[in-house]
Amino acid sequence: MSQSIKLTINNQAVGPIDVADGVMMIEFLHEYVNLTGTKFGCGAGVCHACTVLVDDEQGISEVVRTCINGVERFNGKRIRTIEGHAKQNSLGEITALSPVQEAFLEHFSFQCGWCTPGFVNESTALLERLKRKPIAKDQVEKVIEDALSEHVCRCTGYVKYYAAVKDLILNTKGLTL
Amino acid sequence: MEPSTTSRRNFIKQCVIGGVAVYSAPLLWEMSRANAAMVSPELAAQWQTQVNGQFKPKFRNDGIAKVTGQKVYGRDYRAMDMQGWPKQQGYAFILRTTDAAHIYQGFSLDHLPASAKPYKVITAADLVRDNITLPEFYGDNMLLSEGKTADYLGQAVAILLFDNFPAFKQAKSLLQFDANLLQFGEKTAFVSESKDPYATWRLIRVEGENGAREDIYSPLHDGLFFPSVKDRKPEWLSNPNAQGSVSERGIFYAGEIDKQITDAKANQQWQVLEREYRTQIIEPMMMEPEAFNGWFDAASQTFHTVVTSQSPQDFQEMAVHMLSSGPLAGKVKHLVVHSPYIGGGFGAKDHSIFPYYGVLTAMYAKGPIRLANDRFEQFQSGLKRHPFIMKSRLAVDKSTLKIQALTSQMTIDGGGRVNFTPSVASVGATAMQSIYYTPRNDITATAYASRNPDAGSVRGYGTLQSMTAMECMIHEIADELKVDPFKLRAANVMESGQRNTQGAIPNGTLRYREMLDMAEQDSVWQNRVASKKDYETKHPGMRYGVGFAIATKDYGTGAAAPSAVIRLSKEGKIALDIGFIEMGTGTQTSQAVLVSDALGNFADEVRLAEVDIWKAMQLVQTDNPYIISQQRQDEMAANPRWTPVKAMASSASMSAYYQSHVTRIAAELIYRHGLWPAAVSIWNELYFNTPMGSTNLHNSRDGRWVDGKLTALGFPPLSIDIIAKRAHDMGLVVGVMGHAFNRWAWAEADFDILGTKERLALDALALQYGEASPTFATTFNPKDRQASMTSNGYHLIDRQAISYPKAELNNAMVTYYAPCATLVEVAINEGNGEVTLLSAHTWLEAGKVIVKELVEGQIQGGLAMGIGHALHEGLPPFEDGAGNGTWNLNRYQVSLARHVGVWKQRHTILPQLSDTDPTRGIAEVVMIPVVAALIEAVYQATQVRFYELPMTAKKIKEAMA
Repeated sequence: MSQSIKLTINNQAVGPIDVADGVMMIEFLHEYVNLTGTKFGCGAGVCHACTVLVDDEQGISEVVRTCINGVERFNGKRIRTIEGHAKQNSLGEITALSPVQEAFLEHFSFQCGWCTPGFVNESTALLERLKRKPIAKDQVEKVIEDALSEHVCRCTGYVKYYAAVKDLILNTKGLTL
Repeated sequence: MEPSTTSRRNFIKQCVIGGVAVYSAPLLWEMSRANAAMVSPELAAQWQTQVNGQFKPKFRNDGIAKVTGQKVYGRDYRAMDMQGWPKQQGYAFILRTTDAAHIYQGFSLDHLPASAKPYKVITAADLVRDNITLPEFYGDNMLLSEGKTADYLGQAVAILLFDNFPAFKQAKSLLQFDANLLQFGEKTAFVSESKDPYATWRLIRVEGENGAREDIYSPLHDGLFFPSVKDRKPEWLSNPNAQGSVSERGIFYAGEIDKQITDAKANQQWQVLEREYRTQIIEPMMMEPEAFNGWFDAASQTFHTVVTSQSPQDFQEMAVHMLSSGPLAGKVKHLVVHSPYIGGGFGAKDHSIFPYYGVLTAMYAKGPIRLANDRFEQFQSGLKRHPFIMKSRLAVDKSTLKIQALTSQMTIDGGGRVNFTPSVASVGATAMQSIYYTPRNDITATAYASRNPDAGSVRGYGTLQSMTAMECMIHEIADELKVDPFKLRAANVMESGQRNTQGAIPNGTLRYREMLDMAEQDSVWQNRVASKKDYETKHPGMRYGVGFAIATKDYGTGAAAPSAVIRLSKEGKIALDIGFIEMGTGTQTSQAVLVSDALGNFADEVRLAEVDIWKAMQLVQTDNPYIISQQRQDEMAANPRWTPVKAMASSASMSAYYQSHVTRIAAELIYRHGLWPAAVSIWNELYFNTPMGSTNLHNSRDGRWVDGKLTALGFPPLSIDIIAKRAHDMGLVVGVMGHAFNRWAWAEADFDILGTKERLALDALALQYGEASPTFATTFNPKDRQASMTSNGYHLIDRQAISYPKAELNNAMVTYYAPCATLVEVAINEGNGEVTLLSAHTWLEAGKVIVKELVEGQIQGGLAMGIGHALHEGLPPFEDGAGNGTWNLNRYQVSLARHVGVWKQRHTILPQLSDTDPTRGIAEVVMIPVVAALIEAVYQATQVRFYELPMTAKKIKEAMA
């Protein structure tokens, strides 16, 4: 049994592709379209390394774990993976990072980097939420905790990730009141 | 029992390369370079910035690739990514047994639908038929044979190979958790019960009279001795003799220590604490599960591999061993090993057996084949942190508060294969004393086989277990003596020049007292009594506690052998190649930064995990460096190509000190014999009235790098590209390849460099010279100098007057240490036992810090991992444990941000004594003191002492009831 999958990944139309039943989204990304930036951590939906963004028609993003969600859930959807955040030139070279990527980089937030795609996606969604609905400055730490609390990092102990997101929120116009 | 011969290196000499050429392929090396081609040059160049005239890394030079999701990890690569490989990717997975108590009788795949049938099933019968064995380091029984009982839970039984992903996926879904798949017969004894101990160590020391400089007895003074084995247990001599052999005297002094403790306890002179501490099995839980991709190209007789290993050099040698037999015997002429970045290691990817299953799989595959653990499989088969049981005694003189004796009997579960268990046991034993001076000690560590999964060189290397126990004893005995634990520590802190439990003097300044003084003044400690009262008043149902602990972790193996090569291009670009791999700790960044001390600029390019290029030094290794005799070492050292160890694994805490040593020397040589004389030449020519007078620019130490330019004695600053061109034009040294050896001291030798004899802490050196132009080559023939570079493009310099550290320094076991202390305050919920970390302060002595942010990351990451060890993480042994294949993060709790007080952490990195301080290895110590600090904080909050880890909320709640 197979299913036909068609979706948009990082603004690129993908498919239709015949995909076997039972294939998880992360397996589709890795084995069918060779996008391996989304990382496999636990395969059980716990560590959140595998999260991607699913964008609706209003541009509102949902953060979804790809290791526990079948590819069919994403059929017809628009998704963003870690490969889609930075800007590239015509040679395919990365020329500019997203604000979240830049913040993590300059705060030395990660070491091995395996958990980084999940943190980038979750934090990007958070910033987009705050852009729509700013919060008071004294609520910043709390919203970061709420957003990132389930992401597992084994190298840098979370501190530099959280500090990076906090700095970014406080220094980006329109995210706080 | 013979002394253990298992070391990080000794197997290499046992390998047969058998005419197989080993390559590191360019494609992935390109990818692992700093900011490789997928990043625009403009963006990549931003990794370094200038602050107050000094270069500073703005971010990790591997950071852009990682933060944008590029293919930089071994697990990322599929066949279609590999140049020259067929595009069709095959997949494989391993069937593993969850029964180690019955005779295995095989399995059937008849029930699999046709669409899920493997095209090949590899079993033990194939290994027997084709004479395939594991490299000796890993033992035997690579696959369990029918008719045998498994050595351990999770042992591999068979490997199933599939053409395509759907078939693989379908089959794995049907088989992975099928408890009835493997058939078993009659019950048997556990195989592990028939095995002798993996290793036994005993550290007996009695200090000299009144602490005299020479010990009465110690391993360094007298040598180590080992027991015989009876009924699978160590049996020590029973004939003590103060005048006898090393073992008879050892047993005599052990008896004396025991008697002194007993007597002094009886007559009330000494306070004696006797306790048993237990630690748990830990899954290192690096984020990237192990993976392998491989393909044998029959046309070119090339075996291609992509691995996720911390020790790719060793893999290359041992993979050749495996390929020397089996279906590809005699057919493989080339082995290509790609070892890109790894997504965390923590020791679990250091000499893991996993990649050899990959090699086996690829031997039988009909095309590219991928073997990749999912997390269940990683839990089931990956290397674990050893659980320790430590029966220990600590004796303190009641009047002086001085520690009088320390004894411990450690029992260590090494799991199903030996791996690094012997050295973990030894390092755990040597670490027991932590920062304290012990005039008498008798510490025994015995490691046994069990049916648990393998345990290996996981972060902490045995010291986390033993130093935690020591700190717990300090806390409790201080309580019994009714003294402030800081006062007890102050009475016993080891001072520079004092001997450790092996009788060796630790290298360098011991700054423990300084660290303790800082911690004692911390407001959290000073206000702990008032804070407890205040917090508990304001938070009914919560209990407050403060805990402090300190540790000092050795770094090094006693046989470290780093290599580095630095090449300066005519355009002034600096390229650095090292043997280490980037595990995430920032080696690539820190080594690039390190060269700026001598060269004024960061390395423009850093290549990691290099193997091939070292051939230029033509080094040979013949013996096990840990047990070589002095006579043998002296004989072999006469050969200028001989070294005790050729290459070393990339394990924790090794790059900062050991790799930096040789990187720094290589950079300094390029400066002294390349850039400096070239700069002087320019200054003389353009900026002075030469030859009517002298510039007095005779001393290269007068040179200073400012804003990346070299100046000296007021002469105009010169940029590196200008100087480099002149260095090349003058035929000066523009490439330096060095190799060093350290056995708790560096080997030294004289080397003749362009007519100047230099004594360097290296045992091999090879140079490259610029292609001199006739304009500048007035005193030598440029062609001769170029012609001297005959060893893979290098001029191999014969060392003279080599001095290797004495073989007996092996008995020192460890002498390099980095200390760390942690103060925590916690609140415990009486209702559910949950611990909330209110704050944490870590003090770390890292020596000379190369990149502060990387050290901070280690501190914060280490704290989180230590918190997990103390409070959350743990696997049960045996059938309920990891070997049963059902463990994953859904029930193995690692530290999350909410557990680590993410907004409430502070740290103090002790300032360096001078800029000549060594860069200490700190990647392991940072996770250690927080464990005992939490145990003490829980005690201060609840008045319950824990002797077994982890202290889960459930256990704390039960204990409080």
